[in-house]
Amino acid sequence: MIGYYISLAMRSLRGTPILSALMIAAIAVGVGASMTVLTLNYMMSQNALEHKDSVLYAVQLDSWDPNQAADTTNEIPWQLTYPDATALLRSDIPTRQVAMHRFGFTVNLDESELRPFTANTRVTTRDFFSLFDVPFEYGGTWSKEADTAAVQSVVLSKETNEKLFGGENSVGKIVKLNGEPFTVIGVLKHWNPSPKIYDLNNNPFADSEELYIPFGLHRKFGIYSWGNTNGWTSRTAEGAEGYERFLLGEHVWIQYWVELDNAEQREAYEQFLTGHIHQQKEQGRFERPLKFALSAPSEWLVLNEVLENDNRVLGWASLAFLLVCVINAVALLLAKFLRKAPEAGVRRALGASRNAIFTQHLIESSCIGVLGGLFGIVLALAGLTGIRVLAMGQADQIAAMNWEMMLAAVGLAILASILAGLYPAWRISRTNPSVYLKTQ
Amino acid sequence: MFELKPMLSALWRNKVSALLIALQLALTLAIVSNATVIVKDRMEKVARPTGMDVENIIAATYMPIPTDYDMAGAVIADLDLLRRTPGVLDASVTNQIPLSGSGSAGTYFNEPNQEIGGENANYYQVDSHFIDTLGLNLIEGRNFTPTDEHVVGPNERHHSEVAVISKQFAEKLFSGESAVGRFFYAGNSDQPVEIIGVVEQHLGAWPGWSRAGNVVFYPLLVTDNHKRYLIRTEPGQRDAVFKEVEELLNNRDPQRVVQVETLSKNLERTYIGDNVMIKVLSLVMALLTFIVALGIIGLTIFWINQRTKQIGIRRALGATRANISRYFLVENSLIAGTGLVLGTAGALIINRLMVSEFSQPTLTLPLLAVCAIVLLLVSITAALMPAMRAANVSPAMATRSV
Repeated sequence: MIGYYISLAMRSLRGTPILSALMIAAIAVGVGASMTVLTLNYMMSQNALEHKDSVLYAVQLDSWDPNQAADTTNEIPWQLTYPDATALLRSDIPTRQVAMHRFGFTVNLDESELRPFTANTRVTTRDFFSLFDVPFEYGGTWSKEADTAAVQSVVLSKETNEKLFGGENSVGKIVKLNGEPFTVIGVLKHWNPSPKIYDLNNNPFADSEELYIPFGLHRKFGIYSWGNTNGWTSRTAEGAEGYERFLLGEHVWIQYWVELDNAEQREAYEQFLTGHIHQQKEQGRFERPLKFALSAPSEWLVLNEVLENDNRVLGWASLAFLLVCVINAVALLLAKFLRKAPEAGVRRALGASRNAIFTQHLIESSCIGVLGGLFGIVLALAGLTGIRVLAMGQADQIAAMNWEMMLAAVGLAILASILAGLYPAWRISRTNPSVYLKTQ
Repeated sequence: MFELKPMLSALWRNKVSALLIALQLALTLAIVSNATVIVKDRMEKVARPTGMDVENIIAATYMPIPTDYDMAGAVIADLDLLRRTPGVLDASVTNQIPLSGSGSAGTYFNEPNQEIGGENANYYQVDSHFIDTLGLNLIEGRNFTPTDEHVVGPNERHHSEVAVISKQFAEKLFSGESAVGRFFYAGNSDQPVEIIGVVEQHLGAWPGWSRAGNVVFYPLLVTDNHKRYLIRTEPGQRDAVFKEVEELLNNRDPQRVVQVETLSKNLERTYIGDNVMIKVLSLVMALLTFIVALGIIGLTIFWINQRTKQIGIRRALGATRANISRYFLVENSLIAGTGLVLGTAGALIINRLMVSEFSQPTLTLPLLAVCAIVLLLVSITAALMPAMRAANVSPAMATRSV
């Protein structure tokens, strides 16, 4: 029966080509616009660490200005000071923990034609790779001692290894960073989560780093942050001079994550953090009320407002647009069905039930939905291409549609057209056949 | 004279269709007016003057490869080379690139040893060529001279005795009084900095910052591990010079990595988010209006077809063509008017949500009125064509039985 209704529907659509085209266009444009924006918002809200949501936590400590809370959504600085980060690293409660920040080196090879280049670098403790599930192609991470002592080891991203060594196993080879020799101890597989959940400072949709070096190298290279460094006082690290004054100062620039596998571990860690803050308070630091936060990856994305107000506004605008398109389709379907009322009258007189008439017309509107959805996908792909151009290459990873989103587009179109068809189909199934039989 | 009573009873018989059109117009007005106010706000933001000769400026960043590198010596040699290059008007060294999204800021006070109530500003460390290189308009006081310049090592405590600031920042610090010759203090320091000049306008490193336009320039060269140059070219020479800069600097000294960018590109990149909002919302508005207009045309045609006989009878009974067209136009205006009244209420409610939940600008009544009038005109125009056609129905239709 459904097959017959579908063929009836197609015949009916062909019977009124202009009206049908208008309805399909209305649904297609509505679905195209909303899927463009919803795809963007969906991709921006991806959580690459979803599978670890119950064990990973971003750590924040409120070491800020006693006169004024930090300017973040939960009024705690996003990052830690270097002294706090190194103190936290001494705890053995977390299963894994990472202190890290972004930096940059010049890279060159001895006896190579390759032109020197600058590379975004992550300065981090050794657990980074296992904590964030970063896959290795060759080799592995550095030893525990490299987190505190100056060991010149480096892990290359897949792309950097291709650039420097043509993709071969380069473990054991020497790379010059800022002119100093570093030994390659590991090469990663392709890894580029977007949004860059482990470091949402600066641009959450930037690419992952090209190099990874141990956390114990700060003093040797005078390493500072290529990300954000925020301070609130110039009375800082009294007595220290030069680089030590920066390193030990009261400004935040280190990101900190811990892995706590169960409630007891988490409770113990909270006690440890409380103890650390109390201890610092005795030394005149942490003058604000005691406050810290442990946020799971999903909470971290929300706190950092990765999906901005503008994205939400566009999301609502596109849904409202789809609603207008649906109302438009209701009006046009009503007009179309009422014009075919005599036909329905004849079918009723020949014994078709009201339900049969209703189903037939609902199927006709679903056909409009399927066609509208297919055109809608094309429009959404065009819309996303437009966004990629407008974003000058910064949205290449997020303005892209996967199969799920395409299926969602057709689903949305069918849902919209069924909603649009409900009232007109009901209305026509209630027509009184005798009226039409008389005039014919 | 508008035949309101029969019109209303006819509308009542078609109440669902009429309501659907009114509802579409209401939603359209609510969306279009709120989108317009956002687009207007963003266009104003993008059009703010930067205060610079953006079109003709190139920025170059270099990082030396060896760790023990004579930064100060390299800067002098590089600037000398750049300034002698054909097509280059002037060149300057800086700690940050304007409009790049990366820079430094501090808190400033007009009294020494303060803790609270300071004013934030974006600060630059530059040389005496900087103001001319950017093409900033010095409206008061004097430019830096080479004797004002100081070189300090990385992580060394440093302090400049003089500074040039932006007019906007001067007004914040001294509430409108002349700033030249007065002093300010960085952070909770007790060392005064004398203001020697004021520039009219400069958006700084982050045009999207809430305090963009608050800027301080110090005549300092900090010899940290990278330096940036700004190069202003003669009009039309930018792209030619752009191609040469990296080669030029690398040929003078290959022991480093040089990256070159243009300020126009930075400016474009700065406003990506705003441009997406402007373009997407404008497209939504245009499509929405178009779809609503198509809907009105479709439905008016349908009604007229349904009422062909009624029109014929009216014509036979003496109604003129104008009477018939007017009937459909007035009927359409009634529906549109109802929709737009509903839409006005909807627009104001939605705007309240936009302001409180998504920090968007407030919708003003004149703007809302303009949007409503435009939509009314669109709906009348859409109904015009079918209404004129209705007038062509022959009075003879009255005598036929469908």
